[in-house]
Amino acid sequence: MESILQSKNLVQRAYWLIRLRWMAIAGLATATFIANEILNVSLPVRYLYRMSVILIFYNFLLYDLMRYVTWKGRTTTPAAINRIITFQITADWIILTIILHFSGGIENPFYLYFVFHTILTGVLLSKVQSYIQATLAIVLFGALVFLEYLQVIPHYVLTGFLEGVNYRDELYIFGTFFVFSTTIYAVAYLTASISEQLRQQQKELEETNTQLQKKDNLKNEYVLRLTHDIKSHLAAIQSCLDVVNDQLVGSLNDKQIDLIERARRRTGKCLNFISALLKLTRMKLTGQLDMEYFPVRNVLFNSLATVERTAKEKEISISHQIGEGVDEIYGEPVLVEETLTNILFNAAKYTPEHGKIEVNIKDENEGVLIEVKDNGIGIPQQDLGRIFEEFFRAENARKIEKDGTGLGLSFARQVVERHKGSIWAGNNPEGGSTFSIRLPKRPY
Amino acid sequence: MNPARILIVDDDADITEAMRIVLESKGHTIDAAIDSKDAASRIKSQKPDLIILDVMMSTKSEGFDFARELKKDAKTRDIPILMLTAIKEKTGIDFKPAAGDETWLPVEDFLDKPVKPEQLIEKVESLLK
Repeated sequence: MESILQSKNLVQRAYWLIRLRWMAIAGLATATFIANEILNVSLPVRYLYRMSVILIFYNFLLYDLMRYVTWKGRTTTPAAINRIITFQITADWIILTIILHFSGGIENPFYLYFVFHTILTGVLLSKVQSYIQATLAIVLFGALVFLEYLQVIPHYVLTGFLEGVNYRDELYIFGTFFVFSTTIYAVAYLTASISEQLRQQQKELEETNTQLQKKDNLKNEYVLRLTHDIKSHLAAIQSCLDVVNDQLVGSLNDKQIDLIERARRRTGKCLNFISALLKLTRMKLTGQLDMEYFPVRNVLFNSLATVERTAKEKEISISHQIGEGVDEIYGEPVLVEETLTNILFNAAKYTPEHGKIEVNIKDENEGVLIEVKDNGIGIPQQDLGRIFEEFFRAENARKIEKDGTGLGLSFARQVVERHKGSIWAGNNPEGGSTFSIRLPKRPY
Repeated sequence: MNPARILIVDDDADITEAMRIVLESKGHTIDAAIDSKDAASRIKSQKPDLIILDVMMSTKSEGFDFARELKKDAKTRDIPILMLTAIKEKTGIDFKPAAGDETWLPVEDFLDKPVKPEQLIEKVESLLK
């Protein structure tokens, strides 16, 4: 079925109709009460209250039916939901007609309520179905009016509201029926055509989205191949330079040593960048992660060991605290370790000598919160929202290290998002910044 | 350290050359192969004391497959393998008994490219002990 609503949304709408009906039932009972008791309009209240009770049972039945159809594990086809919605609307038309019959027929202005379901069919069902339903509404209303006119069925007079004999006034009947029919068809047409346009647009958007994803994948594959190739070349260059630098093929003079050292440094920087890009792209392309349960503390200790030397060189003290209850989490330990290492490296890089880094891991009900707090240069306020973007580097960070890749934090974000966690950063009031990572403990 | 016979299996001739110079400086004899087929015939004609194996050759897993083959064969099982790969990025080496676990990665140790001369010498010497 073509609907602007996906089958899941259609199910939600079917339940929504049931919920709306509860309000309608309450409305019917209240309106009957008010009309009869307060406005002193004579009504066959007994029938109308009975009608409310029947409606309650009917709505419970529909609810059970929906529960049955959408029960866990059962495959719910859009066609089945479509049938239930069609059934609901058809039944509602009939009930509305019966209620109208007991409350004055054509003399009751509540016949305008036929419009609601006309709109609903236009949105929820196909164009053809909405015209069929509109025709059904007109036939039902027409039958009511004409059968009352021909006195085949009794007419309940709304004493105290309209006391004339309008239900037998031909001009009034034909006029009202004509306006009613044209209104219903016009509403059906307007709703259906707007919905159809929306459906069309949605389809186009979905197609565009699929194409964009395909193109993005293609781009990533290209980048992956390219970076992999470049990395091989750089690795070969570096290996050859190392051999020369180590004077394994003859001794070098000071100038030669200096130049080789410069070349090695540049190749090394290039390699770092390419390796980071390779890692990020590879992760974007591979859907599956190698998930397992692992202790967070192991990851922390490995990361701390990796950054130890950098921190020592700058005499930065790193302390850590692991909260009570922090134990295993579910994820890719190597990726989590690399993420934490990236954050720690950043902290060490952008914290001046003799600085301080504190790592705090706290247990939360559903996950763990890892906080890395430093007293370094902080993040300029205007850059806070952008630091996790690819290739973005904060202004003050660029001043400290000219050749950063701008990929470390976007890698971290990629990893955390893959784990259905979250990552964010903020500045501390006393200076420096805090990076926080929240990771779930269990599979999602 | 006794001089050993080392087979380098890598399709990158420049890397092989650099490694050859580093290892020859320590007195080792180097043999080189560009793919697993070439390597297999070289191993047959003269068994090396150590194999340095690149993970990515013509196919993504050629290195792995070749290592598994060598470990299955009783004649070559005892030759230590040093694999050249960035495997640490992809697997949980610090948490799993990876190297030596036959079902997973049948190599004794591994190194990521670019290989630093001092690292290469260190790994090779520890594997030859």
